[in-house]
This record gives sequence, C-alpha cells and structure tokens, in this order.
Amino acid sequence: MIRHHPSAETLLAHAAGTLPAGQALVVAAHVQGCGACRAELARLEALGGAVLDELAPEPLAAEAFAAVLDRLDAPAPKPPAPPRQADLGLPAGLRLPAALHGAEIGRWLWVGPGIRYSRVRLPWAPNENVMLLRVGGSRRVIPHSHGGAEFTQVLHGGFTDSTGHYGPGDMAEADHDLAHQPAADPEGCICLAALEGGLRLPWRGWRTTRRHG
Amino acid sequence: MLIRRVATARDRQAFAALFKYFAPRVKAYLRRAGLEPGEAEEVAQEVLLSLWRKAESFDPARAAPATWVFAIARNARIDRARRNHGLPGAPEPEEAEDELAPSAETLTLTAEREARVRGALGQLAPEQQKIVKLSFFSDTPHAAIASELNLPLGTVKSRIRLALAKLRAALEEVR
Repeated sequence: MIRHHPSAETLLAHAAGTLPAGQALVVAAHVQGCGACRAELARLEALGGAVLDELAPEPLAAEAFAAVLDRLDAPAPKPPAPPRQADLGLPAGLRLPAALHGAEIGRWLWVGPGIRYSRVRLPWAPNENVMLLRVGGSRRVIPHSHGGAEFTQVLHGGFTDSTGHYGPGDMAEADHDLAHQPAADPEGCICLAALEGGLRLPWRGWRTTRRHG
Repeated sequence: MLIRRVATARDRQAFAALFKYFAPRVKAYLRRAGLEPGEAEEVAQEVLLSLWRKAESFDPARAAPATWVFAIARNARIDRARRNHGLPGAPEPEEAEDELAPSAETLTLTAEREARVRGALGQLAPEQQKIVKLSFFSDTPHAAIASELNLPLGTVKSRIRLALAKLRAALEEVR
C-alpha cells in the first residue's frame, strides 16, 4: 500500500520535463511502481499534448521537410553501452527500478555504523547528487537538513521521521527547511535519494554550506 | 490512423501529413521553451525524425498522438540542453514488463481521458489556464510564471497547486 506520493506540482514538473535530472529519476522510480501516479502522470502528459495542439504553429524553413525525408533511411543512432553497475548484494526479490538502467552504480561505501551508500552517477547529468542508501535495522541516520530538496524513494524496508512512516514504494519529498533524523524500520531500509545542494550536518554548521536554489 | 500507417507501411504520405501538422507546433513549443530559432528548427526536425523511427512504439491505448509527440519533443528539448554541455542523452524510458496488452476498453478510456483533460483545461479561469500552460514551457517555470503574470515568486507554487486542484475537480465533474 503506497501512502506517500510526489506532490501535484512535482508530478506536473516531471510531465513538463522541468525537474532536475536526479529528482526526475527518483520520481520515475516511484511512478513505475505506483498505478495512481502513473495514471496522474498520463493525465498531465495529456495536458502537455493539449498545450502542444493549441500552440500557434511556427512554420519551419522551406527545405525542412525535404531535409528530414533525406534522413529517414539513415540508421538510428546506437544506444549507449550499458553502464557499470556494482553488484550490491540486494535482498532476495529486490530489483532496482528500471529508471536506473542507464545509471552507473558504485559499490557500497561505509559512511557510519550500519549505514552504507552507493553513488549513482547519471552519465547524462553527472553533477546530480544521487545515491542508494542502506540503513541497518532500527538505525538512525545522523540528524541533517538540506541545502535544497531531498527526494527519497523507499525500495525495501522503511523509515520514520517527523513527517511520518515511509514503506516500500513510498516517496518522501523533503524541503530545504526540514531538519530530520530518519530512523530505519527493524528490518532496515534501502532507498534511492536525490539531494539538491548537499547535506547540512550540524557539526559542519548548517548555515555555512553551499546552497543552491 | 496516420502514425499506424507510418509504423506498419512506412507510409511517407502519412508522414508528410504528420509533419505538416506537428512540426510547426513542435517548433513553437521549443521556441516557447527558450530555444533560439535556428536550434528550435533543428530540434523540431529531429523530433519528426524520431516520430518516424519510433512510430512502432506508439500505443494508442496509452496516449493520444499529440500527447505522444509532446513527450518526444520534451525529451528532445532536455537532450539538446545536455548535448550543449557535451553530455549524452538519457536512455529511452523502459516500459514496465508487467504492463498488460491494450484492450479495446483501455483504448476507449484513453480517448476519453484525453477529451476530459482538454475539457477540464477549458473550464479553468484564464489565469489558471495560463499558469498550467506556462508550467510546460520553461526550465525555471516558477520564475517564468512569476515574471509573466507579475506575481511574487512565493505565490506561484500555491497558484500552481490551486490550478491543479481545480483541474482535478473539473476532471471529476465531467467523469
């Protein structure tokens, strides 16, 4: 049962293609597993179709059609080689969302007791801060706030913070003004997260870290 | 069904008709999204070329033609911005494997959904229609909406939320 979904504005921005790539990846991972959001996204894309239909046409150059006709029989560009993805030793039955297929996935790195992270690098947006996080049973993540929005999709297990409990398939959308200390469920938690502007940890000074948008 | 004819028969007449209708609208969309005229022209041609190549993957049970073309144009716009920074495009989104084959029922539902969405958009107040439309055009939609409608930036998010709520209410009404 999915209880936490992306906000209406976020889904609209996803349909419009205006979300940063990292956030778009997390939303795509959520939508893949959420029938309600798939239907809502289909409606919002239909809205995009309606907007396209209603635009005042802008004529193309006179030779445009001939130019395209000339290219119809050219071979389509080859898809990129599959990216390097570390074997993460995921729990049986857990598969990474299809949205991650083009992403490079690093091995688990230790960040603190019971907490590991794996860097997710998007070849098409290498500066986006995306990661898989694995938090051991009942562990607490260090308290932090964010330089920007933090989107988190739960893939396995779950966590609780001041905004509620998040289980498999749930997506959390945290603003830069949320300071929280998520605690994993007894069975632990694996999630996909996109961070804007990095984490702000208390001992590094909340206010001194760089802030984007 | 023109896209079907392109997919199954590689029908160039059908493609010409699609080009005539969609290419100028795609170009208009790209111009509104901030591309320079020359770049919008190039990308519009690429979008129509993609339409030819991907016609087989068009599924009328999932989207109306304009909705499908919109998605291709949107992705082409994003990929162009990435290429301008020397980056590769994102891979094609993959279909979930457990998706069921379209039935006649879902086909009707798609047509209905598209009609309902258009009806609902038409029912919104002009300012709300404008907010929804502007949301589709810009990489910084909130800032663009704020400057075009002369609203404080902080108000824009709540206006978008309001417009979407109205849209949903209108969708429920016509159901």
